[in-house]
Amino acid sequence: MSDERNNVLASRVTPAEEAARESRHEVLRELLGAYADRELPPETIAQIDAHLVGCAECRSALEVHDAVRTRLAAERPAAPSPALRARIAAAIDAVPAPVAIPQPAPRIVQHRSVVWLAVTGWVAAVVLAIVLAVQTPASNGRVGGARALAAPVAQVPLLGGIIDDYTRVSQSDLPGRARDLSAVRAAVSFPIEPLSAPDLRLLGAWTTDVRGEPAAVLAYRLRDHLVVQYLVAEDAFFRHPAVRSAVADRHLLTAADGARALVAWPGTSTGTVLVGDVPSQWLQTIWSSERPH
Amino acid sequence: MVTASSDPSLDLRSRFEALVVPHLDRLLAFAIRRSDSVADAEDAVQEAFVRAWLGFADLRDDALARPWIYRILRTVLSDFREKHGRRQQLVFITRLEDAHDELIGGEHDALFSEVVARLDSEAIHRALRKIPEDFAAAVELHDIDGFKYAEIAEIVAVPIGTVMSRIARGRKLLAGAIMKERGAAAFEQPADALAERRASRGGAR
Repeated sequence: MSDERNNVLASRVTPAEEAARESRHEVLRELLGAYADRELPPETIAQIDAHLVGCAECRSALEVHDAVRTRLAAERPAAPSPALRARIAAAIDAVPAPVAIPQPAPRIVQHRSVVWLAVTGWVAAVVLAIVLAVQTPASNGRVGGARALAAPVAQVPLLGGIIDDYTRVSQSDLPGRARDLSAVRAAVSFPIEPLSAPDLRLLGAWTTDVRGEPAAVLAYRLRDHLVVQYLVAEDAFFRHPAVRSAVADRHLLTAADGARALVAWPGTSTGTVLVGDVPSQWLQTIWSSERPH
Repeated sequence: MVTASSDPSLDLRSRFEALVVPHLDRLLAFAIRRSDSVADAEDAVQEAFVRAWLGFADLRDDALARPWIYRILRTVLSDFREKHGRRQQLVFITRLEDAHDELIGGEHDALFSEVVARLDSEAIHRALRKIPEDFAAAVELHDIDGFKYAEIAEIVAVPIGTVMSRIARGRKLLAGAIMKERGAAAFEQPADALAERRASRGGAR
């Protein structure tokens, strides 16, 4: 047990606070490798610095990272034999030379560079368009694409309540852990399956109440941002006409509340609302990954 | 030595020799760590250099030459593995993770740095072969070859978040593999010395 958790017991904090600290410990522990490699933003480094002061387990894990990294850095390169160098040179000589890029005079370089940049830019634009087309839910051959909610979020009680809950959750320690998923499943009447998408990892799960409706809440880490999935029963999800209108014909409901993005879609007997302080396209890509093609 | 000339292919060859050939020693070491023999590794490196030369005109940014040639070598090694079968002696990941958890939760962690620092290259290579290739490659590209996470993401064609998790988990698995190979006896020492080390680290548990 870590120092932090010993101290927690000593100071008689509540079980909820203890669970929050444990949750934070599990999240930060996963970042220790990047912390050791100086690959994290300053604010995350500061969080880990503070956590390490009170967590002997993480300090120990960090020492393991440092020890392995230091030893591997001492590995020496191989010494290629003259025979290998000669073999490689001969093998290269034996194949046709690649098509060379002409080396023009400086003035022409500028001109051609502009042309080349234009061509490259055009190619990049086409490639980007193709990539976006592949990633955009509306264009991948499925029936529905994204459709904006035709009302302010606050005017739809379910969505307004979810935004309020998300705001509260995102400003404090997460109340649940990933291994609590089975308990959450047992607590609600509708099926729960965590989302699956590249870079998306489940951090925790718990239940809550959104404007009187029971909801399962699943928190994820997405590219080091928090996104939260709210699952509610289908009758609650379809209650408001603006929601029904937006998701009709297998469309994805999209909405924004300031910098906060929200997407929603119906499941077999549930409705999912996904919220995060991330670009809406990220959330749409998760939906796209979830939906059958 | 090839000198500059009016022949564009010779200029290209000079550029190739300046940008790619200097990495031969590290590329060969990378290949040796994932081949059954030095001869196999040399074959893979030779093939990678030929492929790199054939595609060299496509390399637009000289600064990207090093990750670019590593990416080619990884493709070649993957092709070779498919052709000749796997070279790894994998250990169940859960066993390695258990060994790592035992390390940081037990009494051996204070000595781990010293034990790892004393390991010879052969022991390091054996441990690397016990963990899955994706994890080993990410760890090696960072810790041995000195690439940044963003460059590794380019080399192995995965998002940077995946690189981050592969390196973190790869080091844990490697530590577990070292623990299992060395055995608990290698980490034992008198209780007084252990207490002294813990005190110098700051923070009892």
